[in-house]
Amino acid sequence: MISLLSFGPDGWGRLILSATLTTLLLSFSALLVGAVVGSGVAAAKLSSHRAVRWLGESYSVIFRGIPELLVIYLFYFGGSGLITQIGQLFGADGFIEAPPFLIGALAIGLISGSYQAEVYRAARLALAKGEIEAAVAIGMPRWRIRQRILLPQVARYALPGLSNVWQMSLKDSALVSVTGIVELMRASQIAAGSTRDYFSFYLVGGACYLLLTLLSNRAFLRAESRLGRAWQSRTAAQH
Amino acid sequence: MSELPPVTLSASDIHKSFGAMEVLKGISLQAHQGDVISILGASGSGKSTLLRCINLLETPDSGVVSVGGETIEMKRHARGHQLAANPRQIERLRSRLGMVFQSFNLWSHLTVLQNVIEGPHYVLKRDKKACIAQAEQLLDRVGLLNRKDFYPAQLSGGQQQRVAIARALAMDPEVMLFDEPTSALDPELVGEVLKVMRSLAEEGRTMLVVTHEMGFARNVSNRVVFMHQGTIDCQGTPEAMFGDAGSARFKQFISSHHQVEPVV
Amino acid sequence: MIDFAFLSDTFLKLSAALPVTLGLFISAFLCGGVLAVGILALSAFARGYILVFRGSPLMIQLFLIYYGLGQFGVIRHSVFWPFLREPFTCAVLALSLCTAAYTAEILRGALLAVPPGQVEAGMACGMSRGLLLRRIIAPVMLRYALPAYSTEAILLVKSTALASLVTVWDVTGVAQQIIQRTYRTMEVFLCAAAIYLILNFIIVQLYALLERRLTPVHKAEKKPSPAAKRLSPEENKHV
Repeated sequence: MISLLSFGPDGWGRLILSATLTTLLLSFSALLVGAVVGSGVAAAKLSSHRAVRWLGESYSVIFRGIPELLVIYLFYFGGSGLITQIGQLFGADGFIEAPPFLIGALAIGLISGSYQAEVYRAARLALAKGEIEAAVAIGMPRWRIRQRILLPQVARYALPGLSNVWQMSLKDSALVSVTGIVELMRASQIAAGSTRDYFSFYLVGGACYLLLTLLSNRAFLRAESRLGRAWQSRTAAQH
Repeated sequence: MSELPPVTLSASDIHKSFGAMEVLKGISLQAHQGDVISILGASGSGKSTLLRCINLLETPDSGVVSVGGETIEMKRHARGHQLAANPRQIERLRSRLGMVFQSFNLWSHLTVLQNVIEGPHYVLKRDKKACIAQAEQLLDRVGLLNRKDFYPAQLSGGQQQRVAIARALAMDPEVMLFDEPTSALDPELVGEVLKVMRSLAEEGRTMLVVTHEMGFARNVSNRVVFMHQGTIDCQGTPEAMFGDAGSARFKQFISSHHQVEPVV
Repeated sequence: MIDFAFLSDTFLKLSAALPVTLGLFISAFLCGGVLAVGILALSAFARGYILVFRGSPLMIQLFLIYYGLGQFGVIRHSVFWPFLREPFTCAVLALSLCTAAYTAEILRGALLAVPPGQVEAGMACGMSRGLLLRRIIAPVMLRYALPAYSTEAILLVKSTALASLVTVWDVTGVAQQIIQRTYRTMEVFLCAAAIYLILNFIIVQLYALLERRLTPVHKAEKKPSPAAKRLSPEENKHV
């Protein structure tokens, strides 16, 4: 078993490791895409225009209600089909595949965005109105308020929710394996199929994901306590 | 001298600690049939803990409790303190005691009527129709029959507490335990609850009441027990206690608790 | 422009696969629910179980069960093999184990939310542990768990799509098949997505109905309280 995971020419260790890196990169890219999209959707949901709010709600309902696998199929096969058609216009021949990493990150990112939208929206609503009013009262310009008051607080409130969303993206990235990209799930599949030792390699793959999840949790908890330190020290001083 | 009525409740040498803090330091108390005992004391004196030790919502570290002559069996734990030995006995004895809590604790998913029939029907296994009939009678007694299909969340605090009293009465308890029944109520609602409690006392019910209501202690109860830091500082009839027999500490306690009380 | 013939044909084909998806969902929902209660009862083991099954992707759990278990002679010759050989059963097993972890977490939170005073009032009446659990704790707990549970149900519906990866012909599996044959990704995707969205809508409505029936609100008219039927066997079966 250990030999199977070794880093030598016979061992699968190297593949698993590089695949894990791919998984991390994929998930992180998805998180970034989701952050951009999520902020937009959150803003839409908080807007005063009913039509805009409706758009935001629809996005949420759609991307939280459709199986992730279907979304990936849409982007991968649909994207490939589109690119192939465009290629044919330019005289290219045969099937052109959409870049799996980009497609995967996009698909998972859009899904992640719908969940991140909820997180940002809740975080924004949690912000006490008084803090903004105080800033307005002293004549702080809107952009400064956003930078100095809004963003830091929203970040602090959003962190726990983001921890969950990150975990989700990590796990959803496994689904991108259907596009053929060699991330952790696909690597486990390849190794398992090649050695016929399915149980061991899927177990190892699962354990790697678990490790990533646990380490992420720890990192987020540390970030949360760091950000919350300003508040903690205040209450500590009061006792 | 006339014979004393039978002892319905007895607690002997009750000790209870929470962690390092000893809350009850060897309390003994006896209640005869028809007694209405008011237990007074400052916060932290252990009065609620004493009450909760009687129906074993808290387990005394040492000491003996008996209800209606039957002693609660205890067994020694490895670490020295004791545990209830017989859960069935505890359940049975609890069903013979009625408890009214400071925060009412009505079951939120049941209506008023359902709250009152829950005990008699499911614990005492009585026929449902009989339970409903009794429940309606009791609710009428506490003045809430017209709210029987309401849910606790739709009632005021005073109303909820009166339902709680009806619920405790429905079990036909030998002794009723009241744990600061009016402390969580707005002042204007306290009177309606005290009125019900007074009528229970006049009926001859045995009641143990932990309370801050001096008026009740003085005018309704037949014995006042003053607790201080886990022991009984002094006890006696209301006339004696509120007269000259009370200790200096008790006198100080009363004066610091002087308030405009609802007329009971 | 829009090929209605193709769309309706696809829709019909996908709907034919609906019973499979529903079968997966309902089986996993029920098994997972029962399992969750069991996990909760075995509290020492619960934390580890929840960690493992929430920290790794469902896909790898599924592959572990479907491909991995068949490796062991002891399983192949056991009485369970006829079941574990079937992709559908493996999918239900994987889905149940996964949803049980999430459900156990939800139930744990709901258990903590039960007001201790109401439990004490039950004890003070002389209720036995069994009676307390049945009459007081469980009903209150279920009401607290309902909102989170409805979210979990929707996640379960989406998760059933993964069964298609182990040759179960559910809606996603059939959709994938049609896409690969016709390359008309967008249309097929739209049909499949619509089906899942309708499914989710129905679930949300069912939960809203359940919530309305279980929420204590006194009805103004004086009829024999519908509440007298409270917690009747029907309702307990729904959750």
